[in-house]
Amino acid sequence: MALRAAVLRHIRVPVRTLAATGPKPQLQWSLCNSIRLFSSHDDHLTKEEVIDRVLDVVKSFPKVDPSKVTPHVHFQNDLGLDSLDNVEIVMALEEEFKLEIPDKEADKIDSCNLAIEYIYNHPMAG
Amino acid sequence: MGASKGQKLSGLQKQVLSLYRGFLRAARSKPTEDRCQIESIVTAEFRRNSKQVDRKNFLYIEYLLRRGKKQLDQLKSPDTMGLSSLNVSSSQKQNAKT
Repeated sequence: MALRAAVLRHIRVPVRTLAATGPKPQLQWSLCNSIRLFSSHDDHLTKEEVIDRVLDVVKSFPKVDPSKVTPHVHFQNDLGLDSLDNVEIVMALEEEFKLEIPDKEADKIDSCNLAIEYIYNHPMAG
Repeated sequence: MGASKGQKLSGLQKQVLSLYRGFLRAARSKPTEDRCQIESIVTAEFRRNSKQVDRKNFLYIEYLLRRGKKQLDQLKSPDTMGLSSLNVSSSQKQNAKT
């Protein structure tokens, strides 16, 4: 009896919040958190994937020594590249993730860290 | 245009990088073979200039920027198939047209 009441209470809560705060489709239909994990909104890349792909792009750059590449490496300070190489790497990342990075942002990306952050936070990264 | 730029890029350096980026983007829209040729010519040219031209020679850099922008506009037109470069050395007149 107590179990039934508890379950009913759990199920009824979303309906009450709908009346009080207006339509919130996600809260209303998600009875437990695991349903949200499979929704179509989560086709965004995981950080792991972003890191791997970014490192692959940097490693396959001809002027770069692959053994020095880590997620925290700085293109100019650690890898000995110059700013033209920087531009080339950012362009290669654009192609890899099918993004269009504006000049202002591209000028700021000069380490793996920043590249990973930017791509991970970009909604259109594919 | 020195190799070590550090964090803060001057306005002129930003224009140069912007032009370089423009060339690479334009090269993307061409067929693969032309794209490789364009990229190799453009990168060679930019690097040669970065080593030979004095950073403080604003006048010459600005001239190169203007010339580069015109060349980029021509490159962007769909009629243009590719680039070729003419090398004239000061000692001997060598016209190496690739």
